[in-house]
Amino acid sequence: MNVAIIERGAAFLGAIAVGVSAIVQLKNDWKARGLDADVTKLLLGLMAFGCVLALLAAANVLGARS
Amino acid sequence: MHAGTSTHDSHDVADHIHPPAEGFVRKYVFSLDHKVIGFQYFFTGLLIMLIAGSFAELVRLQLTDPKGAIMSHQAYNVMFTMHGTAMVWLVLIPLVTGALGNFVMPLQIGARDVAFPWLNMISFWIVPIAALILFSSLLFGGPHAGWTEYPPISLADGTAGALWCLSIFTVGISSTMTGLNFMVTIIKMRAPGMTWTRMPLFVWATFATALMNMVATVALSAAVGALFLEHVFNVPFFDPARGGSAVLYEHMFWFYSHPAVYIFILPAFGVMSEVLSTFSRKPIFGYKMIAFSSMAIAILGFTVWAHHMFPSGLAPWLQIPFMILTYAIGVPTGIKIFSWMATLWGGRIHFTTAMLYALGFLITFSFGGVTGIFLASVPVDLHEHGTYFVVAHFHYVVAGGAVMGFLAAIPYWYPKATGRMLSERLGQLGFWLFFIGLNGTFLPMHWLGLEGMPRRYASYVDFAKAHPDGVFWNQFETVFSFMMAASIGLLAFNVIWSLRHGKLAGINPWGARTLEWTINSPPPYYNFKKIPQVFGRPYDYDQPLPYRNTDNAIEPFPEYGKVVMPTPAPVGAGA
Amino acid sequence: MAAAALHDLSGHDAVAARYHDVDAVYGETRDIRLLGFVFFLLADCVLFSSFIFAYIYLRVSAPAWPPFLNGHQLPWFDTSFAAMNSVVLFGSGVTMHFALENWKHLNKRKFYGWLIATIALGIGFLLGQAHEYSSVGISWAGTTMGASFFTLTGLHGFHVFIGVIYLTVLGIQVNRGVYTGSKYFGLTAGTLYWHFVDVIWVALFFLFYLW
Repeated sequence: MNVAIIERGAAFLGAIAVGVSAIVQLKNDWKARGLDADVTKLLLGLMAFGCVLALLAAANVLGARS
Repeated sequence: MHAGTSTHDSHDVADHIHPPAEGFVRKYVFSLDHKVIGFQYFFTGLLIMLIAGSFAELVRLQLTDPKGAIMSHQAYNVMFTMHGTAMVWLVLIPLVTGALGNFVMPLQIGARDVAFPWLNMISFWIVPIAALILFSSLLFGGPHAGWTEYPPISLADGTAGALWCLSIFTVGISSTMTGLNFMVTIIKMRAPGMTWTRMPLFVWATFATALMNMVATVALSAAVGALFLEHVFNVPFFDPARGGSAVLYEHMFWFYSHPAVYIFILPAFGVMSEVLSTFSRKPIFGYKMIAFSSMAIAILGFTVWAHHMFPSGLAPWLQIPFMILTYAIGVPTGIKIFSWMATLWGGRIHFTTAMLYALGFLITFSFGGVTGIFLASVPVDLHEHGTYFVVAHFHYVVAGGAVMGFLAAIPYWYPKATGRMLSERLGQLGFWLFFIGLNGTFLPMHWLGLEGMPRRYASYVDFAKAHPDGVFWNQFETVFSFMMAASIGLLAFNVIWSLRHGKLAGINPWGARTLEWTINSPPPYYNFKKIPQVFGRPYDYDQPLPYRNTDNAIEPFPEYGKVVMPTPAPVGAGA
Repeated sequence: MAAAALHDLSGHDAVAARYHDVDAVYGETRDIRLLGFVFFLLADCVLFSSFIFAYIYLRVSAPAWPPFLNGHQLPWFDTSFAAMNSVVLFGSGVTMHFALENWKHLNKRKFYGWLIATIALGIGFLLGQAHEYSSVGISWAGTTMGASFFTLTGLHGFHVFIGVIYLTVLGIQVNRGVYTGSKYFGLTAGTLYWHFVDVIWVALFFLFYLW
């Protein structure tokens, strides 16, 4: 399917861009103190994990339905 | 009020003052004051208790005749369903967490209000709305399936079932918000010097309750929310005919509703710690063990829900751990009971109304706790689950535990709340009526249950044939249940009568030592003229009071501008 | 003790050391509101967890997944489109973070830019969900698969929708000058909420599209 390939390509590139930004932000914020900073770090980390999932899905490693 | 309007960095303390309420509506209806909100919860809960209690009396009257004395079987189903639902969600939770928690907890931690007064007001006003929704379901025939509303049987309730779900969902939101509010209040707003191990034990109990309210109630909201969707939009979550699972509902329901029984009982435990220590004139025995056992109960309480589901065909490898965990939760409860008994030992016991209720609690709650240990065992539970033995156990824990604790709290804190004493004579008469009525109603249910009388049946002709004495015991129970009702009626009368005619209470009528007894009765809207400094636990009767800044006599009334109340800002928006 | 300043002015100095350019009462109030907001997110998390538990329970106990309806097995969800749509939502989390960082560095123009980008991406995600709903080929009321899918993603979509409104309100408040360089709790809360909604989607994306 053509559309699916375009979607996967977009997801792949987007996931790399977003994931790298999230990790960079996480690194910048790593030393921040306070409850809001801690929760933000946790949530950003999980979101970076979500980007990895999206990457694997786009690469057809995860969620490949036969 | 001031949220979002303070636009400059330069604004000062004045922006955070929330002034005394003015006008009837602001003062008594949409009040932000935790004490007024506590009163509102109290009177709402008491009113619904009278309604739900009359449902229970109708149930008892029906059972005086094995064929069913007064109503159709359908109506009987509606009555016990409405009794259970209203008592659990609209009486006990508003009374023990809403009324007691709101009135007492901020005073005991030396705060001027809860953390989010607006949220508190909204939480209260949800309760009457939920009550109206629930009682309006009677117009559509009423729910039939018992207070748990298990599908698939509850799916036959139609509109009434949907209204039931809506009501429980709404009141769940109220509980969640109250829990959140109390958690933040206790974590952030204790008076300077009040470390965790210097908190009064009632505050510990409220903290454990709030934790469960905040976390568990949402699971209930999800369960009844899904049931609502199934009622209204025919979405198959629980209907086995379409791939759903009725056992799933039981899991989601009991994940909340088992902690819910600890939500009722923990505040009563807190009341016990205060009342028993005060009227024995003795330091509470094992402060830390009582405090930590509250937390242990709160945490273990999340791991035992499936013991309500043993008859549902749970896999044996799941039954055994739940059985063992249920036994385990008896340990912290036992620690408390023994600590209270050790507190009484060698004390100078004053037999006030509150103390009588507290002593009665020790007896009836222990009784309910012991039958709970019986029922935790899988084989016993499989045998007894559908019988009156469970009804007896549950009512000993709830009426003999939570309600008894609450009834101890009313005469104890009523002088602080109103400035007048409750009538001791009426109160003690009420205690004896309640105590004898309670035991007379629920004790025979144990042996009826052991003989196999099934619960939730509108008639018991077959049982009465096999056990002719069953009819006598049912009539016996009905008579005694009216003694309990009389006691509650007497309490309602006493509460209203003493508002005008009670003796003046003064600051500290009981010689108690927690912070609320250092300020005027009733407390002014700002509670404390100056926030006290705490340097010890409140239970050491041989020591001077461990507070600074609490002198009511010499402290001049502060300038209005110096009383800084918690800001009524919304939680998530505004600077 | 931290609670002092909220009640009396005595604790001023201790708190002022932390929120050096902010007044003491504000610092206390902000802490209280922040904790309340985090607890709200925790409770919300339990709500999603309950429905997720229901979904897992129904799926594991089903004889076949996707389940059969009228003798036909239902189709799987469209993983490629969902992956793209997920990246849109995750991207909005990153842009919201940029927005708050720019606010902290007093860069109001860039803040507006990133906030608008966030709102746009959020709306884009919602449109993607609408497309998904119209093309998924199963119905809410038909099977347990449809029940859990539409309930959970619908609940999440509702949260995103509320989030879009929330962020728009925050933008309007900023325009009216509600927030300053040192007092911007609403923006912090909005960012936390938005990140939270993103993270919920991580779980839903995995459970519906990848499992």
